[in-house]
Amino acid sequence: MGAVVSGLTRGAWRVVVVDDGSADDTAEAARGAGATVLRHILNLGQGAALQTGIDFAVAEGAERIVTFDADGQHDPADIPALLAALDAGADVALGSRFLGAMEGVSRPRALLLRIAVAVSNTISGVHFSDAHCGLRALRASVAPALRITQERMAHASELLRNIRTQRLRVVEVPITVRYTAYSRSKGQGVLQGLRILFDYFLRRSGRPPRERPC
Amino acid sequence: MLIRLLLLGALGLIGYQVFLRRRRLPVHIVLVLGMLLLAGLAVLFPDMTTVVANRLGVGRGADLVNYLVEVGLLFIVIHYYAKFVELQEQITVLAREIALLRERQERLGAAARGTGAGSNAPSS
Repeated sequence: MGAVVSGLTRGAWRVVVVDDGSADDTAEAARGAGATVLRHILNLGQGAALQTGIDFAVAEGAERIVTFDADGQHDPADIPALLAALDAGADVALGSRFLGAMEGVSRPRALLLRIAVAVSNTISGVHFSDAHCGLRALRASVAPALRITQERMAHASELLRNIRTQRLRVVEVPITVRYTAYSRSKGQGVLQGLRILFDYFLRRSGRPPRERPC
Repeated sequence: MLIRLLLLGALGLIGYQVFLRRRRLPVHIVLVLGMLLLAGLAVLFPDMTTVVANRLGVGRGADLVNYLVEVGLLFIVIHYYAKFVELQEQITVLAREIALLRERQERLGAAARGTGAGSNAPSS
């Protein structure tokens, strides 16, 4: 955790870590490495954690927001390319490990990822080479349009659907993903994949959350 | 028959509970009490259900009652699932708000103490 955050602070970006109700010293390690830590008092899932971080960044007046997985699978060296894509006029820049490179990935996992991409493309109606990559950049101005309501992992497909319905300008940027024993243990298997699909359809058919004026 | 007594007793108890909890629109109450009344009639005159069932193209009254209960239970499950999802979303909003508030509080506290926690200072 500390190593991931230090890798980012070296780039002089402001780093926000969302601690999704973990019981270990994640928050301390991240804070020690120079990140702002937001702590969920309950475990709410990755989608909710992403949205909390984005809300905070927008409230702090950020112009561009990069989402970055904390398990060490992403490389901070890929961030400038994502930001450059925003500067070139994109609203959202999605990292793609299939355009880029994957290190340390097993064959079954690569196949599973391909299937996940195909399923995601089919149900979200947009076609990308990689659907569930955690490394992305977005303009703060489009953050409200991308609002995520899926708490668990189905948020990635939800994000893509929002991109399509809001007609945002998207580009894919090749990135490198490094699978380590740790990131693999945090990754998603077939069963989780099915659960994500289940979540996606159930939530989608459910009533949209009511907007409450404050 | 003993079963009739038991069923009528149960229906009566349900009706009493509904009546006690009458915070909703009277329409709901009337609807529920109406359904309980129908159920009570079905208990007292079971042959009535067969008459209705035959009208609808179902052979036996017991089958008709069965179908209605199944559909009703499914409806209730879906209703509560929707409620559950709504509640989950509300909890998410709350936990997020707490996370953001705590961060601000910590930052203000650090600033007030004058400890100058450099990394946490507002960037703008």
